[in-house]
Amino acid sequence: MMQRPAIGRLAAIGLAASLILPGLALAQPAPAPGWAQGRPDSMAASPLAPHAPKLTATPAAQLPTASLRVPQGFRLEVWATGATGARMMAESPNGTVFVGTRTIGRVYAITEEGGQRRVRTIAAQLTDPNGVAVRDGALYVVAINRVLRFDGIEGRLDAPGTPVDLTAAFGLPTEAHHGWKFAAFGPDGRLYLNIGVPCNICEFDRTTHALIVSFNPDGSGRRVEAQGIRNSVGFDWHPQTRELWATNNGRDWAGNDTPEDTLHRIRRSGEDFGFPYCTHGWRDPAIASGPAACAEFAAPVALLGPHTAALGMRFYTGTQFPEAWRNQIFIARRGSWNRETLSGYDVVVAKLDAQGTVTAVEPFLTGLRDEANNRFLGRPVDVLVRRDGSLLVSDEQNGAIYRISYGN
Amino acid sequence: MAAAVLAAAFSVAGGAAAAGDAARGQALAAARECGQCHGPQGISAMPGIPSLAGHPEAFITLQLILFREGLRDTPPMPALSQGLTDEQVEDLAAFYAGLPPGHAERAPRDAARYEAGAALAERLRCGTCHLPQFQGQAQMARLTGQREDYLVQALTQYRDGTRRGTDTNMNAVMYGVGDAEIAALAHFMAQQE
Repeated sequence: MMQRPAIGRLAAIGLAASLILPGLALAQPAPAPGWAQGRPDSMAASPLAPHAPKLTATPAAQLPTASLRVPQGFRLEVWATGATGARMMAESPNGTVFVGTRTIGRVYAITEEGGQRRVRTIAAQLTDPNGVAVRDGALYVVAINRVLRFDGIEGRLDAPGTPVDLTAAFGLPTEAHHGWKFAAFGPDGRLYLNIGVPCNICEFDRTTHALIVSFNPDGSGRRVEAQGIRNSVGFDWHPQTRELWATNNGRDWAGNDTPEDTLHRIRRSGEDFGFPYCTHGWRDPAIASGPAACAEFAAPVALLGPHTAALGMRFYTGTQFPEAWRNQIFIARRGSWNRETLSGYDVVVAKLDAQGTVTAVEPFLTGLRDEANNRFLGRPVDVLVRRDGSLLVSDEQNGAIYRISYGN
Repeated sequence: MAAAVLAAAFSVAGGAAAAGDAARGQALAAARECGQCHGPQGISAMPGIPSLAGHPEAFITLQLILFREGLRDTPPMPALSQGLTDEQVEDLAAFYAGLPPGHAERAPRDAARYEAGAALAERLRCGTCHLPQFQGQAQMARLTGQREDYLVQALTQYRDGTRRGTDTNMNAVMYGVGDAEIAALAHFMAQQE
């Protein structure tokens, strides 16, 4: 069995002593579980709690496809099923789609064979192997506690063999909370990763957490690309300017509508977006230290809704969709738990004008949120523009991937 | 009709499909002899073996998947769960979730330990997730009437980081809780009806 990470120590506000000094813990209040940390006493009786994952695949006949809606002229079909817990996606030059997961610990390779999709599990027993990226014929898998490289993966899908273990070279933090990674190679050939904050809201080392970092593919040359980003589980580069853009998850337990998830444009490497002090100009009252105002921090370029869990995002680089969609950003919103009325559970598109200014955020794929009953039918985590210009959407809850195409 | 099926299959609170067939699960449990350890009606009379009757369906499904995937290392369950399909896992969960909960013969109540456990349950806010009667919901186990020795074992594993659920919340809850406190908490939960 592969090594599991130590449970992360949370430097929670007011609870730091009980967490960091085990000998003192008995006399201290119990540490709040990660999801409840930062919850004010006034909300202690709240029934809100994270939704259970689903670790069995939904059969094709039970998928909520009849409820799904896309704009006129677009068509949605089920592309793959049986990819339990499907999250982040990366496509190889051959068209193989690699898919990461969290709780189920697997990595999938999905290939097209005779008009059908074949789903292979090529790695298992990993701890939240959310990050997948492809470069020079190798698949990089980033779990919470491991960085693995599967060389020549395309020719070895049935027997991937023992990967090269790059864990020590990357030297990433091992906290489980917000420790799962999004991974992608940038236009500069470096591997970019998020390092989330190991709590809901807390004081922490701003040089080691709440970052987007990049590395040489061998794990050397770490560079901070953005800081003060609470947890970004999706980013991409503008096809023309090559600037890095990233989604970010706002914190919990500050109210149904506060703060919002955000979209960031990183104009220069190392730019600071303000967490934990500030989120889109909102000064978080839970943090006593730090600047009194938010002016010194870079502002997001769009708000993506409160608690929506805006995750995977990609610029549309294909030619299959009409011209108006080129270089616009598709964003998967996995959906809320810390909000009495559900939000998210969709794919939205951020519309950009010629100057790269976001002019609107509009729905694109809807129907997974049942507003009348305040329940959800699926949880979209990532979007991927395939080489044929179609858009894949992973549905973690159902273990399915949908394909959206335009025209015939 | 389709909407009704979906309504049954998904819920906001659980998010997990209640897709299992209890009758098929009963047959499978008999074939796999689950009752040898867990009791014919899912009430365990064997030290260290948990009762399964009346757990939330999603909890049983998720734990069986963790065993099958090699993510929860509690022999002999990882070996026994090999080869189970998702459908079989859901069937077993439906069967055990539908059995009437109860408890095997148990020690008489120790007033001091019971009171200490009650206070700790309040402090740790167990009832927020496991519900006020501790019957569990979705991915959270039923605690009411569970075997005391099993509860001690499970809570200790969570505290020591040798077991995690589908997330690490229980590890955080149990961080720093002492052996005597775990014993009191287990006694309190086991004594619930």
